[in-house]
Amino acid sequence: MKPIDHTSPKRSVAPVFWLLFGAGGMLSALFGPALIILTGFMIPHGWGLPANFGDFPHMLAFACHPIGKLVVLVVIALFFWHGAERMFLTLKDMRAGKPLVLRLITYGLAGVLTLVTASILLAIGF
Amino acid sequence: MSERRPFIRPQPRYWWAHKPYLSYTLRELSGVAVAAYGAILLAGLICLWRGPDAYAVYRQILASDWSFLVHLILLAAVLWHVVTWFQILPKTMPKLILRGRQLPQRQVTAMALLFAVVCSATLLIVVVAMGAMS
Repeated sequence: MKPIDHTSPKRSVAPVFWLLFGAGGMLSALFGPALIILTGFMIPHGWGLPANFGDFPHMLAFACHPIGKLVVLVVIALFFWHGAERMFLTLKDMRAGKPLVLRLITYGLAGVLTLVTASILLAIGF
Repeated sequence: MSERRPFIRPQPRYWWAHKPYLSYTLRELSGVAVAAYGAILLAGLICLWRGPDAYAVYRQILASDWSFLVHLILLAAVLWHVVTWFQILPKTMPKLILRGRQLPQRQVTAMALLFAVVCSATLLIVVVAMGAMS
């Protein structure tokens, strides 16, 4: 039997992506339906909310507030990472391409869109 | 010399479009719906950054019938994601032992689903209350 080599453990980056996938999955499972009802139906059609609820000054104020920024970044980025992991695993199972290529496409897209979200939140200002 | 020729079970190319794998494929596709919804929010954020005119166009699009239909489909997909997500939960977490008995998986799923309903309902109620007070 070979002794276990403790000096150079092979570390995988997979847990990082699993964590993002899990966090996005949990967030969308707990609050996703309410978010879609809010931004897709109630705010645009004024159901149960004042007509000016989703107007420019209010939404800008939300996006300028640090907590608002955090909420927007967490929701958008984690939703992207959740979809990216699911797509990567499914495409891999479909043998749609080499795993490395699929990783670059799915994780790459989620990474770029996360950076875009963060940059715009910063560009909007405080 | 005989070369090793292991048996590789043939698999149809579109196995994922047939039962019993179809339900798995549909579950995974719900991830696309979650990401697509994220993209809709990001589009709104970009319009917000570009200014009142761009944001007015965004609001106009969101109030359209097409947007209504898209959000209806997204809502259905995300509800499917909610159900399947909590069906998987008891399979991935440590066993829950209650008074020496293992809590059945169905019960874990039911409790988690109830929690999800409470979370979503609370968010809706808080936002409506905020709107009423403003």
